[in-house]
Amino acid sequence: MITHQDSMHILLADDDEDDRNFFSEAIQELRMNNKLTLFKDGNDLMDYLVHPEIKLPHVLFLDLNMPGKTGIDCLKEIRSNTRFKDVSIAIYSTSSSEKDIEDTFVEGANIYIKKPNDFSKLKEVIKEVVNMNWQFHTSGLNIETFFFSI
Amino acid sequence: MKILGLYKNSQVFKIALAIAIVVVCYIASMFYSQMKKLDSTVELIAKSNDTQLELEKLLSVISNYETSLRSYIITKDETYIEDRFLSRGKIEESITKLKLLTVNDTARNNDIGRLKKLIDLRFKLFRKTLLLAKSKNSGPLALNEMLLESSHVTEMMKSFVTKIIFSESTKTEFENNNHQFELQDSIITAFLLVILSLLILLLSFQKMNVDIDELKKANDQLKLVNESYNTAEMTAGFGHWMVNVGTNKYTFSDNLFRLMGVEPNAFEPNIENVIPYIHPDDLEYVAKVHTDSLVSHQSTSMIFRFLTPNGDVKYIMGVGSFTKNGSGDLIKIGVNYDITSQYKKTLELEENNKELKYINTELEAFNNIVSHDLQEPLRKIQMFISRLEGKESDLLSSQGKEYFSKIRVTANRMQTLLIDLVNYSRTIKGDKVFVETNFNKVIEEILQDLATNIEDKKAIITIGNLPTIKAIPFQVKQLFINLISNSLKYSKENSTPEISITSKKITEKEMHDYKIANKKDYHKIVIADNGIGFKQEYSDKIFLLFKRLETDPKYSGTGLGLAICSRIVENHKGFIKVKSKPNFGAKFYVFIPKGDLL
Repeated sequence: MITHQDSMHILLADDDEDDRNFFSEAIQELRMNNKLTLFKDGNDLMDYLVHPEIKLPHVLFLDLNMPGKTGIDCLKEIRSNTRFKDVSIAIYSTSSSEKDIEDTFVEGANIYIKKPNDFSKLKEVIKEVVNMNWQFHTSGLNIETFFFSI
Repeated sequence: MKILGLYKNSQVFKIALAIAIVVVCYIASMFYSQMKKLDSTVELIAKSNDTQLELEKLLSVISNYETSLRSYIITKDETYIEDRFLSRGKIEESITKLKLLTVNDTARNNDIGRLKKLIDLRFKLFRKTLLLAKSKNSGPLALNEMLLESSHVTEMMKSFVTKIIFSESTKTEFENNNHQFELQDSIITAFLLVILSLLILLLSFQKMNVDIDELKKANDQLKLVNESYNTAEMTAGFGHWMVNVGTNKYTFSDNLFRLMGVEPNAFEPNIENVIPYIHPDDLEYVAKVHTDSLVSHQSTSMIFRFLTPNGDVKYIMGVGSFTKNGSGDLIKIGVNYDITSQYKKTLELEENNKELKYINTELEAFNNIVSHDLQEPLRKIQMFISRLEGKESDLLSSQGKEYFSKIRVTANRMQTLLIDLVNYSRTIKGDKVFVETNFNKVIEEILQDLATNIEDKKAIITIGNLPTIKAIPFQVKQLFINLISNSLKYSKENSTPEISITSKKITEKEMHDYKIANKKDYHKIVIADNGIGFKQEYSDKIFLLFKRLETDPKYSGTGLGLAICSRIVENHKGFIKVKSKPNFGAKFYVFIPKGDLL
């Protein structure tokens, strides 16, 4: 587990090692003051979250296609627990299928990000999402604004 | 017409016939009594004539006798009186005959009695005269006196007989007159009888003719109906049967026999004989349905198989229902329909359907592979490219940098191709939900999505008032994305791209060219640009899969965009056309049917 000692706490659950690396590299290059915790799959993530003493993250980046607990499974579990009601969940997936977008929207994710194919774009996305005014975004949320595009 | 109608009505005719027969009987009996009366009159006249004849004979015998006596008296010749006893016998005979003739007439009979006494008296006088004439001691005086008395009695007798004869002849004349009358009456009656009988005969004959004619016509009609029914059954592969529930008697139509693979009337129509022709696996079921229905009198419907003698299996749809025939008996009528070809087609269709479903799942799997599994590594390649470009490009030679940029372009092209492939396969997929779609709203969304691209090209896009159409929203969006992207891509380098999307009325020429029955059947939306255009001869080719007109690398493309457009418009039962000329832009015409045509 790689952690950054910062004020803002970000989680990423993704089974793809390269993607995890891209993500942490992007965060590093952005030089933002935040703490990033990485999980290699859904089970890992949920095991971490059940600990009552942990400090709750601000944003959780959640991949959908993972072995064990899938992104959707995690999303459902998290949203069924009021303890995590203030955690913003950003779906982070290669898929841009309508079904996945609708399902995660219905299950209570806050934003849907299609994994970019350019590193600079990735940095842009992370910057935007981490600095997002979640309250403002969530109050005006609909299926069109749910799908994030730069 | 009315009379003809009455004539045709058998009931009325029967009543008329009965009346006529009664009348004929009455006239016949009248005729019979008349004849009988005539007969008795004739008899009466004959008797009267006989009586007269006999009386005349009597008179003549007596006259003869008197003449003979006188001749004897004068000549004293014995020969004159030789046969006097003979004459006496003759008279007795006549009297007996007369008595017999007048046995029914008392008065006349009495007259005959009196006549006999007169005759007796006369003969007594004859004998006295004869004796006087023979006696030698008698004088002529006494003889004269006797002769006088004799002739007196004779006269008396003669006048009596004449009286009787006269009376008889009067009677005869009267009877004769009567007879004439009666004869005339009888003739009239007989004539009437004949005429009436003839009339009845004629009427009956005519009626019979009419009836036979009608019967024949009805028969012909029935034959024709039967024949056409038979032909119809043969052509349509039907066969029917009937059973009288009461008598359990079956009848089969010709074609039913044929359905079973045998010649018409090949066997006695009954259940037992049909059993060998029903597929053994279906026999129990068929028998149960049939026998149950004969108890419940409920209609039946089943599918079973006939097994023909040459081993063919025929699928039969059998329906049966109950009705009452003319005499009120309960009848079950069944129709058997050969559905073998339909059944086989259905099986084939089911098989095809299975295959199609399988292909569909395959396609979906392929779609998944393309959209996710293939994009995933590609995306990573792109990511690594961007990482290398960002961090390590300083370490590369200019040649290496060029190669590297080519790798990036190629990877990007591959990504576009994958996206287009996904889009195309999505247009083929089955789940097409049609909803009212506001095209203006769709275009608005697209313009937002394509905003960067539009800004880059500094394009001017005008949108007219577009209709709301029942359509598949994501496909409509895809359609216009592709069309607008297409116009942007093929814009001229040194002039501002202008794109307009408007709704237009269908022209007469279009109606003719595209065989549109009614102008109001279709929406027509025109996407026009001022780009590089192309030769009109390519107008059909550009909608084909992987067909690209431009080979210049600056116009990158997958050859899928317009194929997707064509596919989407087809999904909406419409069609897409294009008009273009090199350097004068292109106009795409999208025709989408309204309402029910979808």
